[in-house]
Amino acid sequence: MKILVAVKRVVDYNVKVRVNLEGTAVETNNVKMSMNPFDEIAVEEGVRLKESGKCDELVAVSIGTSSSQETIRTALAMGADRGILVETDDPIEPLGVAKLLKVICSREKPDIVIVGKQAIDDDANQTGQMLAALLDWPQGTFASRINIENTKAQVTREVDVGLETIEINLPAVISTDLRLNEPRYASLPNIMKAKKKPIDIIPITELNIDIAPRVKVIKVSEPPKREAGVIVENVKELLEKLRNEAKVIS
Amino acid sequence: MTNSAYQKIRNIVGPTGVVEKKLDQEKYLTEWRGYWRGSCDLIVRPNSVDDVSSIVKICNNQSIPITPQSGNTGLVGGGVPSGGIILSLDRMDKILNVNVSNSTLTCESGTILKNVQTAADSVDRIFPLSLASEESCLIGGNLATNAGGVHVVRYGNIRDLVVGLEVVLPNGKIWNGLRSLKKDNTGYDLKHLFIGSEGTLGIITRCILKLFPKPQQISTAFVAAKSIEKIIKLFLKFSKFAGETLSVFEYMNSLSVEIATNSIKGNRYPFSAFYPNFVLVELTSSNQNNELALTMESILSDAIADGTILNAVLAKSIEQRSNFWRIRETIPEAQNFKGASIKNDISVPISNVQKFIEEADQATSQIVPNIRHISFGHIGDGNIHYNLSQPTNMEKNTYLEKRNVLVEKINTIVQKLEGSFSAEHGIGLLKKNELTRYRSNEEVELMKMLKKMLDPSDIMNPGKLL
Ligand SMILES: Cc1cc2nc3c(=O)[nH]c(=O)nc-3n(C[C@H](O)[C@H](O)[C@H](O)COP(=O)(O)OP(=O)(O)OC[C@H]3O[C@@H](n4cnc5c(N)ncnc54)[C@H](O)[C@@H]3O)c2cc1C
Repeated sequence: MKILVAVKRVVDYNVKVRVNLEGTAVETNNVKMSMNPFDEIAVEEGVRLKESGKCDELVAVSIGTSSSQETIRTALAMGADRGILVETDDPIEPLGVAKLLKVICSREKPDIVIVGKQAIDDDANQTGQMLAALLDWPQGTFASRINIENTKAQVTREVDVGLETIEINLPAVISTDLRLNEPRYASLPNIMKAKKKPIDIIPITELNIDIAPRVKVIKVSEPPKREAGVIVENVKELLEKLRNEAKVIS
Repeated sequence: MTNSAYQKIRNIVGPTGVVEKKLDQEKYLTEWRGYWRGSCDLIVRPNSVDDVSSIVKICNNQSIPITPQSGNTGLVGGGVPSGGIILSLDRMDKILNVNVSNSTLTCESGTILKNVQTAADSVDRIFPLSLASEESCLIGGNLATNAGGVHVVRYGNIRDLVVGLEVVLPNGKIWNGLRSLKKDNTGYDLKHLFIGSEGTLGIITRCILKLFPKPQQISTAFVAAKSIEKIIKLFLKFSKFAGETLSVFEYMNSLSVEIATNSIKGNRYPFSAFYPNFVLVELTSSNQNNELALTMESILSDAIADGTILNAVLAKSIEQRSNFWRIRETIPEAQNFKGASIKNDISVPISNVQKFIEEADQATSQIVPNIRHISFGHIGDGNIHYNLSQPTNMEKNTYLEKRNVLVEKINTIVQKLEGSFSAEHGIGLLKKNELTRYRSNEEVELMKMLKKMLDPSDIMNPGKLL
């Protein structure tokens, strides 16, 4: 069985982001970049399936600038076998990413594609679903547990009413939720091994896919500053303020 | 103290400058762990150098003891009063100047360490002093104790981070040594007399601190090794090949990592196999070339290849980095769950660290069989927090009765290995006996002469240190 995981290089989750001077995007110059946390979970799941003997080859794919090789190396250090970088300097929207991944799937013929449920930079939560639609494969989204048996996958999903377990036929697309697993650290021996694993670099132009943006960003701005709260003396004062100042009750 | 002195001081600072409510007085009177509780006639919080000077003059005239106090986080009882007044600097908290061209920051001594760090950060610089108590301790307290912390291996103790100082002397006169000079060979370097003097020679009121470029790259690793010997070998490798980028080199023995990962929620053991010793290593650089991770990897892979280390994990995100740090930082807290503990803050020359741990482990296990050694700390400075937790099956008090025997044994080994019985935390009330015991007569006499000359009426923090 072959598994493909998609990994994206994003501004580190713990960085306090700033809007650029033009107000068109988030500043990424000299900012710590890391693997999207949901993708780390996807890689970890792939590595566990390998360790359990269910997966023979784990391939990490990234779409992005040449620096995304670093993100692929991290996946390789966690246990992926090889990497593919579709290299581009332009930001690609989820639909573009899904189309590119579809091309990679037609070349690689994986049995499962595991993606993060969303990337923490644009929070789109679209790529996995779009990819499944384009491939016409079943999808198991927001997985908190994955069980693979022969040609089927049981995926436990976190939904509003609790946990829902579905069974889907392979090949399929699965997207990961936070509680699926706890990703391992990259150990030094594995980092060194990863340096020898191959990364196939494909210039985006070679794939001949229409990736023109469909969405126009009009403006990026910081959330309004929260004003300091006040401590009220008693309930009467609270009600008075809610009524006359906040105007949330009448 | 006389009522008139009380009124005079009260008039200087006004009603907001004295702490009169019983409830508010508690935090000044009690040592934070509850080891000591002091008493005094007045707690005064002046808000200017001139007020400090006027108050000290009154006290000097009437021989009223003064206990200077900052954040009251000290670990040796140096801020515990016995009579007289507590003079708290906590209202003198203004940052007066941040000078980017000089790379200096001038502030009043009551500024919280954290606020100094933040002010430096806002101009893309750092003030490298960093302690677990940084949100409560004040810069004057750090100066008075010559605080150390996790970055000493690169930046030194606070003594190395100060260029100028202002001190109110025991006679109430103000010595202004606020010069931001890198070079200034004009006689005795007086500021160093006051740094580390634990409030016994004068009251530090203002200072000029050094700032450093802010790191643009950080590479953090959690490393496993077989023995202390190997860890020291690794330290020498890093000193040689990582040079000035080596900013943190913190040791943890297996038990300290075990208790931190088992008893503190959110901590996770970073490996899948057992190892006997660990270090947290951090490299930082103000260069933006992104090569630091490669330096880290090449030193560590060399160390694996030649058997210096057994394994290592590298932080690939800020979260992973803080996970590593949290293990190191929660060891003291985790120790609280393991019953009574006896803590020693010792240092020896790096070349003797291994001997110290071997000999001390053996000697203490002989005194109390099954005693649990929780050793960790700034091994890159030769400084180990050598903490001893009680055996699981022993009564707490039976164990604590052995305290003096254990501490004496450890200090004897330290002395033999040319070390110090108090590396970071000072003398205060806690280690006065050790000072006369382990330091030469000449050394102690010289200290007494200095004290007598500067403070003939013995009003500055009497009963502490000497
Ligand atoms: C959780 C924790 C972790 C710690 N980690 C470290 C560490 O890693 N390294 C380290 O070195 N220490 C450490 N300490 C010890 C402590 O935080 C330091 O000693 C600190 O520098 C004391 O600052 P403070 O403001 O609390 O001073 P205080 O406790 O108020 O005073 C300390 C001493 O200095 C005198 N003093 C205070 N202010 C002045 C002044 N303005 N002029 C003259 N004398 C004055 C006092 O009389 C007293 O003797 C730690 C403490 C805690 C609680």
